[in-house]
Amino acid sequence: MIVDAQNVSRVFSMRAGPVVAVRDVTLQISEGDHIAIRGPSGCGKSTLLHMLGCVDAPTSGSLLFAGQDISRLSDAKRSLLRLKQIGFVFQRFFLLPMLTARENVELPLSEAGAGKTERRTRANELLEYVGLSTRADHRPSQLSGGEMQRVAIARALANKPRLLLADEPTGELDVATGEQIAMLLDRVNGDGTALVIVTHDQALAGRARRLLMMRDGALEHEGTA
Amino acid sequence: MNAVGFAWRSLVRQPARGALGVLGVAAVGALLFDMLMLSNGFVLSLHDLLDRYGWDIRVVAGDLPLEGPRLRHASDTAEAIANLPQVRAALLVRIAEARIDRASGPPLTAQLVGIDVRSAPGRVIGTSPPWTILSGRDVANANEVVVNTAVASAAHIAPGATITLRALCVAEREALPPTTLRVAGIAEFPFTAFDEHAVGTTLAALKAACSGNVEDDVDLLLVTSTGDADGAAAAIRAARPGVNAMTNDEVVGRFQQAGFSYFQQISTVLTAVTVSFAVLLITVLLTVSVNQRLGEIAALRALGFSRWRVVKDVLSESALIVGTGGLLSLPLGWLLATGLDEILKAMPGVPAQLHFFVFAREALAVHLALLALTALVAAAYPMRIVSRLPIAATLRDEVIG
Repeated sequence: MIVDAQNVSRVFSMRAGPVVAVRDVTLQISEGDHIAIRGPSGCGKSTLLHMLGCVDAPTSGSLLFAGQDISRLSDAKRSLLRLKQIGFVFQRFFLLPMLTARENVELPLSEAGAGKTERRTRANELLEYVGLSTRADHRPSQLSGGEMQRVAIARALANKPRLLLADEPTGELDVATGEQIAMLLDRVNGDGTALVIVTHDQALAGRARRLLMMRDGALEHEGTA
Repeated sequence: MNAVGFAWRSLVRQPARGALGVLGVAAVGALLFDMLMLSNGFVLSLHDLLDRYGWDIRVVAGDLPLEGPRLRHASDTAEAIANLPQVRAALLVRIAEARIDRASGPPLTAQLVGIDVRSAPGRVIGTSPPWTILSGRDVANANEVVVNTAVASAAHIAPGATITLRALCVAEREALPPTTLRVAGIAEFPFTAFDEHAVGTTLAALKAACSGNVEDDVDLLLVTSTGDADGAAAAIRAARPGVNAMTNDEVVGRFQQAGFSYFQQISTVLTAVTVSFAVLLITVLLTVSVNQRLGEIAALRALGFSRWRVVKDVLSESALIVGTGGLLSLPLGWLLATGLDEILKAMPGVPAQLHFFVFAREALAVHLALLALTALVAAAYPMRIVSRLPIAATLRDEVIG
């Protein structure tokens, strides 16, 4: 099992009073899982995703990642865990505009200490994998939205993560491009990486094997797509 | 890509911002470098002038700069000092005023310097006159002089020519007969201003020009020790309690006490101001840059970049801006210092060989240390922003925004 979340809650202290973003969620993610989380805006999907990805910690409950209680890990150890075992894909891509597609993909490899040759080889493999080998030397401003998201997926896969988390990965794309990204994510999952997608897109969610519906911070029900 | 490479890409991503930072630091750094050179420049230059000809002790009857009565019984005093075991030689220096006739135009008023060296029998002298020969040769006998470039230029004379001068030795209105002397060479007198006229000769020639109106007195004695200037000065004071013997260090110390510490005070204040400007400039540029990239930074943190790594990126960017600007500031500061030095030296009465801005390794070391500190302090606030960046909240805000 990759993630074991037991009765996880996340409460934000606001001036007007505490806001419960995630309420008492219990969830397990296993190797190769393909999970979609849906629900209305503000229901806590992204907050749950951030906790699953160890960028945020629950205020109550326990969350184990690969058997490690993340609330007990230092910031440095959590960073290392994310670097080696978790990949993130964002709605707004967050590619670095001053770097080429290849250099963007190389970034997590560089942070993980990979040598220049290893970085170059792995980045080229990943760009080939996402179908952008001919655009390796292009900067994000020279790529379309779909191409940028494919580079972002390649970047997220750089260190061969066990879990890939995608927050509205098709949110900024048209339907046809979104379909291409969905197919690519299917392929990533098919190749063995567990995938959790937060999305409003019914079609994208429908491709997952497990569908989690959230409302007011709580898991309303889990079913199959 | 390491932090420096990453910082470089971030910097060139917005060339205008990068250029503004680098040029700002270059300008501020140039001023900083100049202030540091000015801080001790005058003192270093004065020390260099005093040390230039190997005379490390000044002996006067009154005080320096030449105030009070002349040193009486100068020959005996010079002999006695030259015979001290701590002393290698003593040079009698008598200064008078002279009017130099010209073929056309009014006579030139010049400083006439007469010298005579004394040393103990058998002691190797190896001393220099208090001037530097630029062309021709030094005076070899009592009917020769050396003149400075101001005299040579104004009187249109060169080595080998003759000049006719009238010395004013003891009173303003004395009428002495003219003396004709041969110009042996053109010399540089370290303590004369650009437009001051100076003539150097032997003490015997000066006395002859003064028609015997000069007693056995001199303005000062220049003494060269056998190595221990402090010991030699103490020995002179002990042997001749009525004289004031000062080492070059003591002379410089006297000048500093007499008001030249203003340079240090002014430069300290201006240094603090310029460093503050540099810190503010870089802090503003980096803070704006970081705030524009919060989403990217949060994404990098989510992808596993450590807190230290993103802090290092900001610090490297600051170091690159300050480092590049700092390198540019050195030639810029040097050019600026040269111009300012010329302006200050044009003030009346300032010796032409004296400099206000003097390069010293210590000044360069302090300059580099202050720039390094600037890079660090300027990056402190933006580093704090990225180190405390809440990843999840920032990613959420970026999507909502």
